[in-house]
Amino acid sequence: MSIYSPAQDWFKAPSGGERAWIGLALLWCVVLTLAMPYWHFKGKQNSTGESYAVEPMKFMERVDRFVQTNKVGEEMGTAVVEPSPGGDAYLQAQMWRWSPILKLRKGQTYRLHISSLDLQHGFSLQPVNMNFQVLPGYDHVLTVTPTEAGEYHIICNEYCGIGHHTMTGKIIVDE
Amino acid sequence: MSPEKPVADVIRSEHAREEGDHHAPGTFVLVLVLLFTFAVYYFANWKALADVWQVR
Amino acid sequence: MTTGTIDIGLAPGDASRGAAAPQKPAGNHPAGALRTCDTTGLPVCLVAQQFIKLHAVVAVVFLLVGGIAAILLALTRWPAVHLLPAEWYYRILTLHGLNMLIFWILFFEVAILYFASTSLLNSRLASKGVAWAGFALMLVGALMVDVTILQGKADVLMTSYVPLRGDPLFYLGIILVAVGTLTGVFNFFATLWIAKRDRTYEGSMPLVTFGALAAGIIATVTLLHGAIVAIPTFLWSLDLMHQPDAAWYRLVWWGLGHQSQQVNVTAMVSVWYFLATITTGAKPLNQAVCRGAFVLYILFINLASAHHLLVDPGVNAGWKIWNTSYAMYLAVLASMIHGFTVPASVEVAMRKKGFTKGLFGWLAAAPWKNPGFSAFFLSLAIFGFIGGITGVTLGTEQINIIAHNTLRIPGHFHATVVGGTTLAFMGLTYYVVPLIFQREYRARAVARLQPYIFAAGIVLMSMGMSFAGSYGVPRRHWDIEFTGAQFSHGFDPGAHVMLGLLGLGGTLAFVGLLTFILLTVTAVFFGPSNKGRAMTAW
Ligand code: HEM
Ligand SMILES: [Cu+2]
Ligand SMILES: [Cu+2]
Repeated sequence: MSIYSPAQDWFKAPSGGERAWIGLALLWCVVLTLAMPYWHFKGKQNSTGESYAVEPMKFMERVDRFVQTNKVGEEMGTAVVEPSPGGDAYLQAQMWRWSPILKLRKGQTYRLHISSLDLQHGFSLQPVNMNFQVLPGYDHVLTVTPTEAGEYHIICNEYCGIGHHTMTGKIIVDE
Repeated sequence: MSPEKPVADVIRSEHAREEGDHHAPGTFVLVLVLLFTFAVYYFANWKALADVWQVR
Repeated sequence: MTTGTIDIGLAPGDASRGAAAPQKPAGNHPAGALRTCDTTGLPVCLVAQQFIKLHAVVAVVFLLVGGIAAILLALTRWPAVHLLPAEWYYRILTLHGLNMLIFWILFFEVAILYFASTSLLNSRLASKGVAWAGFALMLVGALMVDVTILQGKADVLMTSYVPLRGDPLFYLGIILVAVGTLTGVFNFFATLWIAKRDRTYEGSMPLVTFGALAAGIIATVTLLHGAIVAIPTFLWSLDLMHQPDAAWYRLVWWGLGHQSQQVNVTAMVSVWYFLATITTGAKPLNQAVCRGAFVLYILFINLASAHHLLVDPGVNAGWKIWNTSYAMYLAVLASMIHGFTVPASVEVAMRKKGFTKGLFGWLAAAPWKNPGFSAFFLSLAIFGFIGGITGVTLGTEQINIIAHNTLRIPGHFHATVVGGTTLAFMGLTYYVVPLIFQREYRARAVARLQPYIFAAGIVLMSMGMSFAGSYGVPRRHWDIEFTGAQFSHGFDPGAHVMLGLLGLGGTLAFVGLLTFILLTVTAVFFGPSNKGRAMTAW
């Protein structure tokens, strides 16, 4: 009985179906455990958490410099910036916009630096649906390779105040 | 009144039971279904992940 | 008539071998502070009974507050309705998270701890004063939090991630709730200790109490994390300290936020064992296995808070993988073990009663009209098949990239802490009211249906959330049409269908929840008394 003290000799090894199930479940947990290191080395999508401490003001300066050197146009008042393939790209999160607009090339790899000037934000790339946390004080570096050309939106999926749901940005991927 | 047995009866029936009887084939089938569903969902998600941009 | 007093005695040793129950050890109750339950024969400490009542009533009140918030949220996330204005959506979301996840659950859990340490051990409650202190701290804290939120001074959501900043009273309220709960947990530990000292029971404690002990231990660790994170944040909100680091805050906050979910799981599993016994006479197949699984919960959950930081900066891949694998999967193993032993114990009990037809004859013959049983079994199924599977998958380091902060996350936890824990607690309530309040439910046909309505609603809502999340729809988001945004993103039409499902399921779940509250409140205040006789069987 689960509501009475058990008999004195309750310490017994499991038997029968119970034992078989524990074995199966343990095996499954081993599969689960090994899957992550496996993907870390063999898979193409990993969240390494690479990041560096950065003052919000310092980060803003870097973004400004990045925009000045690589700007290729403007859309609705926001700079469109094309980083050199293999190089660094910057994305700044603040209440309530993502800037600048990035122009990337399919199949090229970029070191994308993301940080926030104020609150926490959520980098959510749509419609591919990739999501990363953005914190003030941390330069979060994603080494990304777009695999498909097209126009993508960045939405914010960490609550950042009353304008949270209007916080959007854009990434263009050319062939 | 409910045709079911009152609580005390239910609990008491337990007193009479022997130990060591672990025959639960129905539950075993249920947990196998669970494990199967689990595996399908889990690997489907790895597949979905493999389709997004590369990132490290 | 099926009522009447039946003496089953309190067996100190497991009397399962057909022998009559041996002489029960004397309890430690002062004269006049004890009654014997007319239904189960369990001893009921009258002081504990008073506090079980208090905590349960307050828990249900907070469930109502959270429930009203819930329907408003469901009707806002349903794009065709989009009920609340933005400001109120975030405010009510803050209210819902805290009232449900923290207040409803914690008040109910303290009631469970008091029951498991007194009735099941034949002991008195350690201290009435401490119980009052804990209760008062929790209540005052919870009221402070709710008032601050509704005044619009803490639109920071449950997690209140810094640098978001709420009113100091909001943080103070949370600290009081945590301290009050710790006080209650301490009273529980003290009761275990005096029961042991006074030898009110022989041998090992019953499994349900053991599970409650596991929950109590995890709760202590959890609430300490809460203090570590809430106190500096409170001081910061008063400008007495610099702002806590955002990544540090997340790490420690989830030490509270995640582990408290393990408290809920542990408490829920204990309730499963209890309800399995009381509704079908089920008996754990192997006590060592069940207890071992509870120990796994205590040992291996500590760092699983990592699975909330899987796509965060500031922590590296090695740390993320290490902490999600060893810490999480041995706890997952524990849940998979309970997921077998609980239904297997029911199966064995039912087969013993002669329901041996085929593989599932026992299941078909189970007491499905007993809301205690149906709530328990549906809770088991929803927790396992939806909550568990989605949780482990979303908590996989890399897979989290396609799930973090999307609606997949609330889709997952409404299947664990709502379809699982809350539903199990509802099932328990169908026994707490007749046995502790000594009042019968009215409208019993409705009560028989209630678990099904609530379960169906939660399953639909959880699926709607999960699939909408798979399309990328974010959680905690007022407007997926992005009106007024610089760039307007349009989600796949399928996402809108799924959000409709969220709305419909949420509405159904709300109906189920309101039915539960109405039935329970009516029973507690106006139900026919069953003092002096056994409860009317469900
Ligand atoms: C009738 C039952 C319920 C319904 C219809 C419901 C509905 C919802 C909805 C629509 C959301 C908002 C999701 C979003 O927009 O991000 C939500 C959030 C949430 N719900 Fe529930 N819920 C119910 C019961 C519960 C219960 C019983 C609990 C806990 C025991 C709970 C815990 C939460 C939590 C923790 C959140 C997240 C809050 C946040 O993001 O800060 N819910 N619920
Ligand atoms: Cu944001
Ligand atoms: Cu935001």
